[in-house]
Amino acid sequence: MKQQSNSHKYSGTIRAFTVVGVLLSVICIMAFGIDAGKHTAAPLNLTVKKDSVASVKAFKQVYTVLMSARCMNCHPSGNIPLQGDDSHLHVMSPRRGVDGKGVYAMKCANCHQATNTPGLHTPPGNPNWHLPPASMKMVFQGKTPRQLAQQLVNPKQNGNKDLKKLIEHADDGLVLAGWNPGEGRTLPPISHAAFKKAWITWLTTGAYAPKDK
Amino acid sequence: MSTGTLSRRDFLRAGGITGAALCLGFSFSSDGKEAKVIVAADADRQAIEMNAWIKIDADGKVTLVDHRAEMGQGSYQSVPQIIAEELEVDLKDIQVIFAQGDPKKYGGQITGGSSTVRDSYKKLLKLSATAREVLIAAAAAKWQVAATACYAQAGHVINRSSGKKFHYGELVAAASKLPAPQNIVLKKRSDYKLIGKPLHRKDTPLKTNGAAVFGLDKKLPGMLYAVVERNPRFRGKVKSFDAVAAKKVAGVKDVFTVKMEVFNTIREGVAVVATSTWAAMQGRKALKVVWDDSGFEHINIADIYTRQQQELKKEGISFKKQGDPDSALAQAANALDVVYQTPYQAHSAMEPLNCIAHYQKDKVEIWGPIQAPDWVQGNISQKFGVPIDNVRVNMTFLGGGFGRKAFLDYPYEATMISKHIGGPVQVVWSREDDTTQGPYRAGVSYRAQGAITNGEISAVKFRMAGQNIDHWSNPKRGVANDSTTEGFLAPYFASIKNISFADVPFEIPIPNMWWRSVYASTNGFAYESFMNELAHQAGKDPLAFRRVYLKDDRCQKLIDKMEEISGYKDRKKGDGFGVAITECFGTTVGQVVKVSRENGGKIKIDKVWAVVDCGWYVNPDIIQAQVEGSVLMALGAATMHEITFKEGVAEQQNFYNYPMPRINDMPQVIVHVIDNDADAGGVGEPGLPPFAPALTEAIFDLTGKRIRKLPFDMANV
Amino acid sequence: MINLNVNQKAYQVDADPNMPLLWVIRDIIGLTGTKYGCGVAQCGACTVHLNGEAVRSCVTRVSRAEGQKVVTIEGLSANNSHPAQVAWNEENVPQCGYCHSGQIMSAAVLLRENPDPSDEDIDAAMAGNICRCGTYLRIRKAIHLAAGLQRKENAS
Repeated sequence: MKQQSNSHKYSGTIRAFTVVGVLLSVICIMAFGIDAGKHTAAPLNLTVKKDSVASVKAFKQVYTVLMSARCMNCHPSGNIPLQGDDSHLHVMSPRRGVDGKGVYAMKCANCHQATNTPGLHTPPGNPNWHLPPASMKMVFQGKTPRQLAQQLVNPKQNGNKDLKKLIEHADDGLVLAGWNPGEGRTLPPISHAAFKKAWITWLTTGAYAPKDK
Repeated sequence: MSTGTLSRRDFLRAGGITGAALCLGFSFSSDGKEAKVIVAADADRQAIEMNAWIKIDADGKVTLVDHRAEMGQGSYQSVPQIIAEELEVDLKDIQVIFAQGDPKKYGGQITGGSSTVRDSYKKLLKLSATAREVLIAAAAAKWQVAATACYAQAGHVINRSSGKKFHYGELVAAASKLPAPQNIVLKKRSDYKLIGKPLHRKDTPLKTNGAAVFGLDKKLPGMLYAVVERNPRFRGKVKSFDAVAAKKVAGVKDVFTVKMEVFNTIREGVAVVATSTWAAMQGRKALKVVWDDSGFEHINIADIYTRQQQELKKEGISFKKQGDPDSALAQAANALDVVYQTPYQAHSAMEPLNCIAHYQKDKVEIWGPIQAPDWVQGNISQKFGVPIDNVRVNMTFLGGGFGRKAFLDYPYEATMISKHIGGPVQVVWSREDDTTQGPYRAGVSYRAQGAITNGEISAVKFRMAGQNIDHWSNPKRGVANDSTTEGFLAPYFASIKNISFADVPFEIPIPNMWWRSVYASTNGFAYESFMNELAHQAGKDPLAFRRVYLKDDRCQKLIDKMEEISGYKDRKKGDGFGVAITECFGTTVGQVVKVSRENGGKIKIDKVWAVVDCGWYVNPDIIQAQVEGSVLMALGAATMHEITFKEGVAEQQNFYNYPMPRINDMPQVIVHVIDNDADAGGVGEPGLPPFAPALTEAIFDLTGKRIRKLPFDMANV
Repeated sequence: MINLNVNQKAYQVDADPNMPLLWVIRDIIGLTGTKYGCGVAQCGACTVHLNGEAVRSCVTRVSRAEGQKVVTIEGLSANNSHPAQVAWNEENVPQCGYCHSGQIMSAAVLLRENPDPSDEDIDAAMAGNICRCGTYLRIRKAIHLAAGLQRKENAS
């Protein structure tokens, strides 16, 4: 697959099969692994210790989060975002637009404020509310774990993020908004701290893409 | 500005007129059915209290009263367009004001049943022609010529031989002393210059710059704002409430129990009165209320339909029957016996309900988006013991009505609140209140039985089970009424020998009320769908089949036109064409709907053709607009939204779970208005009922699937 | 006190900073052309321009508008003369009229950003504004007409 050849930059070989080797090295993730509440920047001395089993296991958790409504709704397969716990097409069909911030009278920020609007069924808020831009749609919807894993580490599909930036992205404002979704919306299946831990584990153990069943 | 219930002198004063003016109005018989034109001179002589419908002042300025509500259907244009025709004035020189509620002055004012034009055009034509003739008489006297030597045009009376002219304003002083001329000759339709033309509406400029004053926009000095946390169940009461937190909200002035009474049914709530709408809403959020919901059933939606369909096994109360459909059905080999189901619907006018009331000891004044100012006047007078002439009800523009704003509950409640606080108050309903409180179009189930024998209809038997407005609002409970046949074309009775309609009583404590086109909106789906099913049973094309049973000349011409404009005859079976024809409020509408399947399987409406036979009409562009709107409202009701109940409480609150069609859902609609000399029929509603049965027939034609239950999902057919 | 600039006029309003801009405009400033329809940004009746964008004032806290430029339907043009207003009149668009302040404010943003919108562009811009009377066909026609008027205006 074409995508695969682009995904070797830092994560070593991403293979279609589950690697059974076990790597026992301890890596330094202490500083950014646990305390998600403070949104501290990731440390720079990253050590990747390949461990395909741990990596795939971690990604399974990551995948449940990314495919939850809170993340997937703004990573739709089409140009209209999704909405609600059932990820239906966003009522009133707002469009992505070139920059991901909507078009004409239907720009995201026309309804989505800097913070959540109080009440049920009101627009959730974030100062930077947007979809991925038209030039790089970063689609989650409909992706298998393998496809999504490959996409996430491919700079041509992930917003030009290298390992460092990917790790930092766990504390991005919009990512965090998934855990502050406004009244009445279901949270992602695990806490942000657990997600962040799984995310970093996945990335720092080789970012292995699970095999599709 | 409003004219009010005034003597002539008061009227002149209220109108700011210091000099002479010509005023014309009606004197209504006590039942309101007969109207005699009177001019001010008659009123003075006979000591009749009159209210000028038309007033022309010394500057020639014409002021007309719109006696009906303007809720989008166009009374603000159609009433002046009628009057300007016979009065011979330019529409742009006319100022329109809304009447206050007063049946003695204006006859019935309920804006419902698509009745604004059809109820009043003949008397408005006569009134305006009388005004013209009295002005001509005044001019003729000045010139000392016969009235026939003069004619009126563009606000002037012109002397045929000399070519001299008087501006109307120059004549009003003399004209106002003349008696009303008798034997007025009205124009022939072919001579109309304004009527029948697609003129621009006079209210449009006000609705594009924010100037139109809707109910919510009306403000009075010293006015407070109120919102009400009402019991979510229609007959529910307040047991207790805790207002400590609510009263701490900045701007909140008072919190108290209020009741809303309608047809002797009471719903209670807790009112929060504050200095702004927002403050009142915040106060309401902080309220804690314990409800008393005892003494009535708390029903679930599934039980409603299960029970209706159980009840449909009974014969019900016969409303109309000819021949012997039961025997014919018993003898038939392949009789059809099917059930149709239609949903509860909210009106969801874009302007949520609201009302201003100012109660002062022995007088009450009301402002609001009100469809029936005369009814509100009578109701407030009766319920609050205030003399009827001291109850003034002012109509603002209505941001949609659809029947909801003819209900009397919200002005009653506003008056209660004003009485309690002792000052003017605007009661604002949130969208959630508007959606959850009802009253709703009733969800109705129908049982349709019928048989085809030798290719012809040998029997039709319809039964309906659904809440009936008359059964709960009237003392005449349990008597079948014409809601049972609403929408069904009368000519069918001439050609179907064995046919019957019955109402199977079904009453539950859910509030229900008229909703655009009323029972025709649900009957039309059942009855016309069944005609389509019978056509297929007979192996005939549905439109050709109707031709056989609708022998009436107007129906035949309507069918001709449906075929002609839609290309119906050139279609192939399975192309996705469907038809239906219904009649309500004196107007017959036939629709052809064409559907196809999009990539991905969703049903898409390619086009809707509507043929309207409403007889005499005022403004074809308004008719077209009303049909476009009716089609969209019918589309929403058939495919997008439904009110359901859990333990007696509505489960939908706002557009997020009661979604509305949007611009991308709007099908193309082609409207053709038939020209004939029949009496005027209604326009605001009759375009709605044929849409759903024509749509489901089109889907049957395309897919072979028969849809008998609304709403359905166009993405999953 | 919150400083607002509405229709190029300065206002100082004494309001809770959390109060939606809609209610400040309607109940405090007294401009009632901007409508309440749903309160949750579903219907678009409350659309105003905030620094030129078609924001839904029912969910926009007044604090967001502080020191910013707000334009309501009353301030869109001096004399009902914005191409959208002219076209709305020409095509007889409104029925009840309640939603059209918001419709026109949305259309004005579309027309500014796209001088010749297609039907698809119009749908993309206008699907946030509900009209219960069903004037959508006319809204579409009016926007095409307004675009033409605007092009003529700009050419002359």
